[in-house]
Amino acid sequence: MATLNYPKIRRAGRWFDVRRRRLGMWAYTLNRITGIGLVVYLYLHLGVLSLLARGQSSWDSFVSLARSPFYLGLDVVLLAGILIHGLNGLRIALTGFDVGVRAQKALFGILMLAAAVALIAAALKIFGD
Amino acid sequence: MISMKMLEIPLQIFRYREGEPPHYDIFTVQVADTAHVIDAMDAVWATRDRSFTFRRACHHSSCGSCSLRINGVEKLPCITRVMDVWDGHAPVRLDPLRNFPVVSDLVVDVSAFFQRMSAAGMTITRSAEPSLPLSVDDLAATGVLSRPVEVPESLSRFNRFENCIECAICMSACPTMATDEKFLGPAGLAAIYRARQKADNPSDVAHLLGLADGEHGVWRCHSAFECTAACPQAVDPAGKIMALRRELIARRFKVAARAAAVVPRTRNYSAPAGPTKHGGNGA
Amino acid sequence: MSVPHVIVVGAGSTGAATAHDLALRELRVTVIERGEVASGTTGRNHCLLHSGGRYCVTDRESAIECIDENMTLRKIMPDLLELNDGLFVALTEADFAFKDRFLEGCAACHIPARDIPVKRALAMEPYLNPATLAAVQVPDGVFEPFRFCLAFLATARRYGAVVRRYTEVTDFIFSGKSVTGVKVKDRRTGETETLGADLVVNAAGPWAGEIASKAGVSVPEVPTAGVMVTLDCRLNNMVLNRLNKPSDGDIVVPQRATSVIGTTSWTVEDPDLITIPPEHVARMISQGEQLLPPVRKVPMRAKMAVARPLIARSGVDAREVSRTFECFDHAADGVNGFITIAGGKTTTARAMAERVADIVCEKLAIAAVCQTRDVPLASYRLFYQ
Repeated sequence: MATLNYPKIRRAGRWFDVRRRRLGMWAYTLNRITGIGLVVYLYLHLGVLSLLARGQSSWDSFVSLARSPFYLGLDVVLLAGILIHGLNGLRIALTGFDVGVRAQKALFGILMLAAAVALIAAALKIFGD
Repeated sequence: MISMKMLEIPLQIFRYREGEPPHYDIFTVQVADTAHVIDAMDAVWATRDRSFTFRRACHHSSCGSCSLRINGVEKLPCITRVMDVWDGHAPVRLDPLRNFPVVSDLVVDVSAFFQRMSAAGMTITRSAEPSLPLSVDDLAATGVLSRPVEVPESLSRFNRFENCIECAICMSACPTMATDEKFLGPAGLAAIYRARQKADNPSDVAHLLGLADGEHGVWRCHSAFECTAACPQAVDPAGKIMALRRELIARRFKVAARAAAVVPRTRNYSAPAGPTKHGGNGA
Repeated sequence: MSVPHVIVVGAGSTGAATAHDLALRELRVTVIERGEVASGTTGRNHCLLHSGGRYCVTDRESAIECIDENMTLRKIMPDLLELNDGLFVALTEADFAFKDRFLEGCAACHIPARDIPVKRALAMEPYLNPATLAAVQVPDGVFEPFRFCLAFLATARRYGAVVRRYTEVTDFIFSGKSVTGVKVKDRRTGETETLGADLVVNAAGPWAGEIASKAGVSVPEVPTAGVMVTLDCRLNNMVLNRLNKPSDGDIVVPQRATSVIGTTSWTVEDPDLITIPPEHVARMISQGEQLLPPVRKVPMRAKMAVARPLIARSGVDAREVSRTFECFDHAADGVNGFITIAGGKTTTARAMAERVADIVCEKLAIAAVCQTRDVPLASYRLFYQ
């Protein structure tokens, strides 16, 4: 005599509901958000590269856009996504093969710290030049 | 006569009846400050609303029936003290487990869960470690050191119940459970791991590993680790899922290695005439 | 001739075992339970699979029932038990003096009991009070009351029984002086329904009086509550009992990764809501500490209290009340087709059910023999499938 739960959010949405969740779930959700972001970026990137096929002038106009501070900011966001997704991905690969499972929280902390350091250094370089 | 401090606790409880949209009811009940959340739920039923339905039986974390979400987090109300979840003014929110159909109020339909546990086929008892004490929490916190024990002559070994009480808290906490209807889930996979450890014939082992390796087995886990964090019984389902993965991968390597070892021998065209070296060294 | 329909009120150990026995005898059975299975007295049980040692001096009838059922349950539910035996431990001279009577009682009740050297007892139980004067080993065991009931009900369902949880009996239907059915309310939907029955068995434990009153009869029941304290740590492998007559807090039952100290005893007005007296909790800790000194260092995981369905006997203190059960045929009160089972304990639930089922079959003129001693129980997980 069972009936369906009345969901407030659709079920796939539960991947992104981090309310009252622990570190592991934050990592899981971050990986999904950065993953989706990187896929979107991939299409944009391919689109941008196709400008090369349209000749010198369209490429040049793109490059001048790419030097604007706003775009450089987006580059930093992109880099953040790559670092988070990549380094957390390393953690997932390790734990997924039963290496360092007990230390998964510490691993997340260390890798995200490394990501933050790398990101700050890169941001300084990007905006500094 | 030890005096008891009484509290007036507000509880915000998820209410549901088939065919009607769910809502929350807020009840304020009087319980002792040392009470557990299950006592407050009892007080709601006994003194405020007899139509309030919820599951419970043992009141000491052995049956696994009372599991629900307290302030959004999966817990067993029978071992959760009211003072640990109440900040003194906002109501304590009680919701049913996620990922299960709600039957009424806090009662969920656990048939799909028990189907998985039956499929895993883990016996709920196991042989016990020859040492005491046995603690679900940090031994160091109790200041009691572990000591080996002798088993009475009349018994071949001690036995005890498995850590898992089949409360399904891990299934509620798992994000993969939300999107894969047939996922064996942390409890199912942890049970397969335990059943595999206890299995004593190769066909049982093959069957269990086959389930783990299947479409709704260990590879569906995406490392949220919420299950291990939420488990009230230190089962560590995530650890067991990863351990199963390790075994599955190791077996694949062994199979591949064996296949690789056979190939050079059958291609040994330079072997001398006469009796061959087949069956010498190697597999 | 159609199959007779028996309604069993209550899905605790009594109701579950009775439904199982009747279903195996091919009667049509419906179990009506207002909450979850074992949500009443049975759920908050001390989980002790009695060897009978506790009763072998003061209540031999009980003790013999216990040891027989202990052995039967080992046969029919082997995978649902912790079987590590138990120790009856003497801590004082008075305890030590009790030992001979205890061993005598065990022998008289065919309970295998073995007087073991204290040094050996301490090697098996390193946290046992080092001042132990004597230890007697008996075949105590540990079960889980919820799965116990689920296993009986799963088997009953396999034989055609229907179990309706979250359903409560609101009224009895009469035809003249005979009960011909009950009115029930589904607590989930609020819907009411009438169920016809050839016989109604009242197995509602401490609420049996409440159910009986709906049929206009009474039951001499004294709801007697008891507190148990569960520790966050398992300090003993074997059940530890005090070697003396039954008293408060004289048993520590280990289970899984906990140790459960129990119990106390006081009469309650309302079995629906019991407030746990803090002095009872304190007494459990201090009593437990006597058997296992590290008890006080271990955090408390849970505490539970529930009313036991003890049968009143005039002029006797609650603790001396026999723990055997009784079957009240309300035909004697002028109401046919209605019987109440009161008292008893989970260890002997199957035996209780056998006698109740014999009475039911006699009343319904059915020749059917009990098979529950030999039929292994189905997996408890099947109850929910």
